[in-house]
Amino acid sequence: MSLITPLFLLGLLGIAFPWWLHRLEMQTTEREKFATTRFLEASKKRIHVQRKLKYLLLMALRMAFLALLAFAFARPILFDDPQIVASDDNVHHVIVVDTSFSMHEGTRLQQARELADTILDNMESGDVASLYAASTRITTLSEATDSADEVREQLPALIADNGRLDIGAMIASLNGLLEDSQAAVMLHVISDFQLSGQAVRFADMIPDVINGRPVTLDVQSVVNAATPNAMVESVIIENRNSVSAAVRSFNGELTTGEKQVHLSINGVEQQMLELPATSNGSALVQFNDVVFGEGDNRVDINLTPTDTLADDDIRYTVFDNSPPAPVLLLTPDTSSLGITYLSAALATAPRRYAVEPNAVEDFDPRVLQRYPWLIVEDLGAVNPTLAAALADYVRGGGSVFAALGPRSGSLTSVPVLDIAVSAPLPGRDTVPAAISRIDTSHPALNKSSGWNNVNVHAMKVVPTGDDNILISQGNDTPVLIERNIGAGRFMLYASSLDNSTSDLPVKPVFVSFMAEVAQYLSNEKLLVKAQTADSYLQLIQSGSGSGQVVDPTGKNLLSLQDTTLAQDVLLNLTGYYQVFTAGGEVLVAVNPDSRESDLALMTTETLQNWQASVAGASGNGSTVATDVELAAARTDAGDEIEIWRFFLLLMALLVLAESLLGNRYLNLKTGTY
Amino acid sequence: MAAVAQPRSPMHLLDPKVLASLSNLELVAKAAVEGFVIGLHRSPKFGFSQEFVEYRAYGEGDDPRYIDWNVYARTDKTYIKRFLGETNSHLMILLDSSASMGYGSQGLTKLQVGKFLGASLAYMASRQHDAVGVMVFADEVLSYRPPASRSGSLQGVIHTLDHAQAQQGTAIAKPMTRFQEHIRRRGLVVVISDFYCDTQELLDNVRPLAVQGQDVILFHLLDPGELAPDIKQSTLFEDMETGHAVEVAPNFMQKEYRERINAHIAGIQKAAQGMNCDHVLINTSDSLDKALHSYLTFREKRG
Repeated sequence: MSLITPLFLLGLLGIAFPWWLHRLEMQTTEREKFATTRFLEASKKRIHVQRKLKYLLLMALRMAFLALLAFAFARPILFDDPQIVASDDNVHHVIVVDTSFSMHEGTRLQQARELADTILDNMESGDVASLYAASTRITTLSEATDSADEVREQLPALIADNGRLDIGAMIASLNGLLEDSQAAVMLHVISDFQLSGQAVRFADMIPDVINGRPVTLDVQSVVNAATPNAMVESVIIENRNSVSAAVRSFNGELTTGEKQVHLSINGVEQQMLELPATSNGSALVQFNDVVFGEGDNRVDINLTPTDTLADDDIRYTVFDNSPPAPVLLLTPDTSSLGITYLSAALATAPRRYAVEPNAVEDFDPRVLQRYPWLIVEDLGAVNPTLAAALADYVRGGGSVFAALGPRSGSLTSVPVLDIAVSAPLPGRDTVPAAISRIDTSHPALNKSSGWNNVNVHAMKVVPTGDDNILISQGNDTPVLIERNIGAGRFMLYASSLDNSTSDLPVKPVFVSFMAEVAQYLSNEKLLVKAQTADSYLQLIQSGSGSGQVVDPTGKNLLSLQDTTLAQDVLLNLTGYYQVFTAGGEVLVAVNPDSRESDLALMTTETLQNWQASVAGASGNGSTVATDVELAAARTDAGDEIEIWRFFLLLMALLVLAESLLGNRYLNLKTGTY
Repeated sequence: MAAVAQPRSPMHLLDPKVLASLSNLELVAKAAVEGFVIGLHRSPKFGFSQEFVEYRAYGEGDDPRYIDWNVYARTDKTYIKRFLGETNSHLMILLDSSASMGYGSQGLTKLQVGKFLGASLAYMASRQHDAVGVMVFADEVLSYRPPASRSGSLQGVIHTLDHAQAQQGTAIAKPMTRFQEHIRRRGLVVVISDFYCDTQELLDNVRPLAVQGQDVILFHLLDPGELAPDIKQSTLFEDMETGHAVEVAPNFMQKEYRERINAHIAGIQKAAQGMNCDHVLINTSDSLDKALHSYLTFREKRG
């Protein structure tokens, strides 16, 4: 039983009983309002006050007895382990140096090294020190050691990277790293203490107190005031010939012409503009008539002259100017409305597609293999030969998205899928049933919304067990079904792709739906081409399980073995990473976190509060670990001493004292002694 | 045999407990005074007659309704009519509303009784066409209405009295100084208070009024619980003005306290006599009859 067990707490309430009993006996003084006390005089002490004192002693004895009884039932245990007492003699100096992107500014990092050096100089005999670099992640540069020189040797390894320091995350990481430390911890944080690095919740900046170990915080700032800084915040490319760059100025405005903005495409400077004066810290420049190359383009926007934090004066962007991917569209009528709708939708997809309409009658099935996926506008127009060719195409790994257009009205079974049609296409004068079920977990539907507003007159097909119903109406009529055939996929939309029997093509959901269908059926995965420094590139997004990655310095990041195994690659440099996969070469632009560019500082009050809060949380060395923590930490110790026996002994003594005192009081009261 | 209901005397209206049951202070004043007047034997000395006596020149504060316009037309001077019982007086009621006045051991506080008394005096004076003013004070002047006999001035005085609340401490010096600055004409000054102040302080502050020619009457209100307290056990008394608490034994209250309060009353009385003022001790459990009698006697004496 522990000291927080409800039964124990209930037992502890028993000590209120003597208090209540004694309160019944106490003489109380009436309290009354009176007009004036100028004529009153305090009465002399009376005998009952003296008696009350003795009475209180008796009450205290009885309460102590009951409390001990309750404690004894809790079976308290003492742990005979010297390690649980935190030693104030030995101090573990945990030196954490900020190496985030903002530390590139001026001489911040050099100052941080010097401050760390001073801390090591002041170490006392028996103290230990460890050194950590803090950015997006915590890097251990030196484990805890009593040799200051060993730690000092690692100071040159403190190098500013391109990550972002969040103090809350830093403290969370340190909690894990310091779990095993048994000494009192002096946490030295050396940083520029950017305002953007402050944790959202102040409580997140307070380190855990583990094993009753006292933690003291020492914050050492390398700067005293906010520094002005300008950066290129974002780049927007429109109409394939226009580039807009947003420039942000922190801690001061820029005047017109103070900076020039340069645009370079694939390393060649194309244009230069003067930056207009910033307003509320922002200014926008637009470059027109920009010429891009085919495929991925490296778009650099840089500011000159550079400021003291030069690395954010350039912004790297990748613009994909690849030609649209061809998509075969088999149609009974090459001038149908469906072609228009499909072409428009697929042209606006993230990966552009160019629809190539082909008349079903004239189509040569042998060219099917040129396309990774295709669209059949009306399966009713497909002849048996083409149906057989399509089935072979799908089995071989191709994918088909097919619809049941006006010519499917007389079908009794759906070609390729060979499933029955139980009812013909309903007339337009009937009210279509509402869409009632959508499988949003399907890759082709997880971003689509707005299907509930779509009106579809769907042919009633009878799916088999092999078919996956993705969308259905309230009357159990499937609207979209999918079947895996061999290595390929076949998706059937049980209505038309023009607006004759369905208004889907004229609804906004059609664009996102077709984009997802295209990405899903073409088996094409897209890498995120704009990344923040110190994040991970997930190679799985490239559509291939692996590949080679070349960093901005031209260095191959993966060994030959890793190219087949590696899933995630750390992007620790700014610039362009080249990703080579089976699908081809892709560029990824990496820029520092823009929050690091804001060099505004945390206030002195915040830093003082932080220090005070850490001291308060750890009790300045007087903290005692809770029962649970002690029990958890010491389960292996084995040296447990049960003290309930001592409690019983003490209780016996209390009973004796209570009897003697109680008798004396009774004699006094009754006067029969 | 069935008991025959006896008609109650109008004098019962002077009982403060009866008056407390009336919600409107003006009604209270009217009830008290009417009850009192009915109980009086008709006497020219205490005349409430409206019989014309003489003309006198119009003065500031007089009700213009009583200007005789015929006389004005003939003489081009403003005169007002005087009636029997009129004394051309100004009555100024000074009501103490310090926190100690909020004490009441029998359901009715001293302040409430003081309000009844003040309103009754104002009503009585108004009937005699006297100009009536009021000042409510504690350790400073809380509200002030100069004397006036115009229509509606009685309601104003009663309204001011009605809104008095027991609060703050007692310091008679400051209000009295302010009062002396305001008062211009000779008249009657009625001070209603429990006079929990130093006798010397009272003397120092009331004396200038007497020197100015004001006729001062001190209504000394005390609760039965203050005059003859009776406690069964040791009691912690908390001063209503200072919050200071003193634990007092019953025997002290039986003997020493009574000696002290009586000595204080005697001191106030002696000081009043020294200034040629009237001092009327009012037990708040008694009827207002005594107070109104004192007022009329005093007025007649000075009038």
